[in-house]
Amino acid sequence: MYSDLLHALPEVFALTNFLAVIIGVLAGIVVGAMPGLSATMAISVLVPFTFGLEPLVALGLMAGIYNGAMYGGAIPAVLLRIPGTPAAVATTFDGYPMAQKGQGGFALQVAVVSSSIGGIASAFALMLLAPPLSKVTLLFGPAEVFWVAVFGLASIIFLLGGNPVKGLISACFGVFVSVIGSDPIYGNDRFTFGQLELLDGINIVILLVGLYALPPVIDLLETPLKTDSVEGEKLGTEPIWKALPKMKGYWKTWLRGSFIGIWIGILPGAGGSMAAFMSYNEARRSSKKPEDWGQGEPEGVAAAETANNADTASALIPALTLGIPGTAVAAVMLGGLLVHGLQPGPMLFRDNPDVVFGFMWQFLFGAILLVLLGGSLATNSFARLLNLPRPLLGSIIIVLMLIGVYSIHGRMFDVYMMLGFGAVGWVMDKLKFPLPPVVLGLILGAFAEENLRLALRIGRGDWAVLFKNTTSLVLVALTVAVVIGPMLKRRFIDSRKKEGEEA
Amino acid sequence: MRKTLSAALLAAMAVATPALAEYPEKPIEVIVGYSAGGGTDVMARTVAKFLETALGDGAAVVVKNMPGAGGQIGFTEVANADPDGYTLGTFNLPAALALTNDRNADYDVTSYTYLANFVEDPNTVVVSASSEFQTLDELLAAAKADPGAITLGLSSLGGNDHFSANMIAQASGAEFTLVPFKGASMARTALMGKHVAAGTMTLSQTASFQDELRVLAVLSDERSAFRPDVPTAKELGYDAQMSSLRGIVAPAGLDPEVEAKLEAALSAVNAMEEFQAMMAEQGNPISFVSGDAFEAVAVQQDGVARAIWEETPWK
Repeated sequence: MYSDLLHALPEVFALTNFLAVIIGVLAGIVVGAMPGLSATMAISVLVPFTFGLEPLVALGLMAGIYNGAMYGGAIPAVLLRIPGTPAAVATTFDGYPMAQKGQGGFALQVAVVSSSIGGIASAFALMLLAPPLSKVTLLFGPAEVFWVAVFGLASIIFLLGGNPVKGLISACFGVFVSVIGSDPIYGNDRFTFGQLELLDGINIVILLVGLYALPPVIDLLETPLKTDSVEGEKLGTEPIWKALPKMKGYWKTWLRGSFIGIWIGILPGAGGSMAAFMSYNEARRSSKKPEDWGQGEPEGVAAAETANNADTASALIPALTLGIPGTAVAAVMLGGLLVHGLQPGPMLFRDNPDVVFGFMWQFLFGAILLVLLGGSLATNSFARLLNLPRPLLGSIIIVLMLIGVYSIHGRMFDVYMMLGFGAVGWVMDKLKFPLPPVVLGLILGAFAEENLRLALRIGRGDWAVLFKNTTSLVLVALTVAVVIGPMLKRRFIDSRKKEGEEA
Repeated sequence: MRKTLSAALLAAMAVATPALAEYPEKPIEVIVGYSAGGGTDVMARTVAKFLETALGDGAAVVVKNMPGAGGQIGFTEVANADPDGYTLGTFNLPAALALTNDRNADYDVTSYTYLANFVEDPNTVVVSASSEFQTLDELLAAAKADPGAITLGLSSLGGNDHFSANMIAQASGAEFTLVPFKGASMARTALMGKHVAAGTMTLSQTASFQDELRVLAVLSDERSAFRPDVPTAKELGYDAQMSSLRGIVAPAGLDPEVEAKLEAALSAVNAMEEFQAMMAEQGNPISFVSGDAFEAVAVQQDGVARAIWEETPWK
C-alpha cells in the first residue's frame, strides 16, 4: 500500500494537477472568507463541472477548496465576528477580541499556521492510517454515536456562557430547529406546515448565515460613519517570519487540536464545528489562565483553527472506505468521486490507487500551500476590505449572504428563512442571548435523536442496549469524568485554599 | 449565425405547420430530484451526454438538480412542467410513486409520459462476512424462532429496501425488527460493524464490499450477471422481487411525434457501446425498457407500493 502511495506522487506533480490544487486553495480561501458562501456550496457547484475534467484535476480542486475554505472562514470570524463557514464559529471567541485589541493581523497568522498544521496532520492520517481508522469507525454503531453526542454536549457546556438560563434557552431553540422536518425513523412531518422545502430539515448554513452574519451587518450599518475601529493599520500585522516564533508555545494545542479533529472526522455526522468547539474547550481547560479565554487569547484561535482543518482529510476516511462521509463537505466530495466512476469501498484502493493516493497527496499539498498562499493573501489583501466604507462593506456582505443561501438549493424559500433567522439573531444579540448554543443544539440535537432512536430500535425498546459494549461504556465514563472532573477540581482547590487560610 | 438563421426560418414555418420533426430547437432540461454527484445524478449526466449525440444537429441537454424531500420536489416539477419536450426528468421507482401514499403529492402515476428506463438494480438480503448465517434459510429460521430478534438494517422506510424486507417477511412468515438508517451506506456500515444482524440493499451497493459482506439472496427473476454465484430468492422458495429502477420521463400529454423522437433517441443511447461501458464502470446494471413497457412497469410498481401501504402503513 505504501508503495502505491509513492507511485501516485509523480502524477500529482503534473502541471495541471498541481495547478488545480493551487487554484483550489485560493478559491477556497476566497469562498470561505465570504460570509454565506461555504466549502460545501463551492464544491457542490463544482461537481457538475468536473464531469468533463481529468479525475486528479477535479479532485485537486476539491481538496484545495476544502483546505482553503476551512481557513478562509477564520478571516471574517476574526475581523467582523462573522464566521465565514460553520466550522469557524469557535474562531470568533478569541479572534474577534484580538482584532478589537489591534492584533487582528496576528490572529489571522495564528489561524493560517494552525489551519495548515491541522490540515497536514489530517492528510497524514488519511494517507497512512485510513484502513485501520476505518475499523474504528465500524466500532461506532447508533448507541456509541449517541454517547459521542452526549459526551460532546457535556464537554462543551461552557458555551452556554455567563448566564446559564439564557444559554439553555438558546440551546433549546437550536434543538427545536433540529426537530423541524421529517423525523429520522418514520418520516412523519414535524413543524413543516405542508412545506416540501422543510421536509429535509433546515440546512445549518441557512441558520448560521442568518443568525451570525445579519446582526453584525446591521450593527455595521447602524453607525455608518464610524470608521475608527476598522483602519487597516490597526491590524498590527508584521511579517510572518517574525510572528512565527511567538507561536512556538502552541505546540500542545496544535497536537491536541489535530487529534480531536481527526477523531471527530472519522465519526460520521458531527463535523468541523464540533471539532473546533471541543478543541477550544480542551485547550482552555488545560490553560494556566482560563480567565483570559474569550478576551483575545491567541491560543484559542489556534485551538479552533487546528481542529477544523484537522477534520478535513480525516472526514474522507469513512467516506472513501465505507461510503459514509464524516462531514457535509465530504458528502459532496463523495459525489465528486462518483461522477468519476470511483465507488467508495475497500476495492477503491486496489482498483484506482493512482487517483485515490494522488487525491491524498493533494490534501497534503493543499494544507502546506495554505501557509504560503493564505499567509500573504489574508493579511495583505483581504484585511484591506475593512478599509471599505461601512455602507459598502455591509451591502457587499448582504449580497453574498443572499447568493450563498440561494445557491444551496436554488430557491428563494431558503433566503426568506435565512432573513427570518437573521431577525431572531438580531433580537437575541440585543437581549444578550449567546449564539453558539443554538448551533450546538442544531448539530447535536439531530445527531443525538437519530442515533438514540436507532439504538432503541435495535434493542427493541430496551434501554440496556445503550450500555451493552465496551465502546459505549468508555464513552459513558468519559462523559462522567468531564462533568464531575471540574467539580472535584474546584472542591479540591477550595479545600486547599481553606487549609492555607487556617495555617 | 447559420444556426440562428435556420432557427428563425423554422420558427416562421412553425406558424404554418407544426414542424415538430425539427425538435429540439432549444436546450432540453433534465430535472434530477437529488443533488449533484448521487447515483441518479450521475446516470442523468451520462444519459444527457449521449442523448446530445443521439439527437444530433447540435442538440443541447442540460441537467438541473432540484434536490429535496426525497426527490419529491424534482418529481413534482417535472409533472407540472409544460409537456413541450423541453423538460424531462429522472424517475426513481418505486420511491417516486411510493411516497404518493404516505404524503400529499401533486402527482401520481398518470402524471408522466414514460420514455425509457435505464437502470434496474435488484435488492439483496445481505449479512456481514463474519456472520453466523450462511444461507437465507438459516437467517429466516432464526427470525422465525424468535420473532423480532433479527435486526434488519435498511435505508429509510417507504422505498425499495423497505418493500424488500416486507416481501421477504411475507413470503417466509419470518418477523424482523427493521432499523431504517439515513441512507444505504449507513446501513451497510452498521452491518459491517455488526450493530445489526442483517440488511437489505441493492446489489450495486454491495459491489465494492465483496470481502466484507455475504449476499444471501438477490430479489430478482434471474441471477444477476454481476454476481452469478448468488441465488435468487425465488430459487430458494421465496417469491419476492424488488429492485430500484431509474429512468427518464416527461410530463403527461407530450406530443406523440416528440415522444417518438425522444424514445428513438434514448434507444439509440442505449445501443451505444461507449454508453454501456460508462454505465458498467459506474456499477449501474442496465435493464432497458421504453414507452408502453416502461409505463406498465410504473403501474405495476405503483400497485405494489399501494398494496404494502394498505396492509402495513409505515407511518
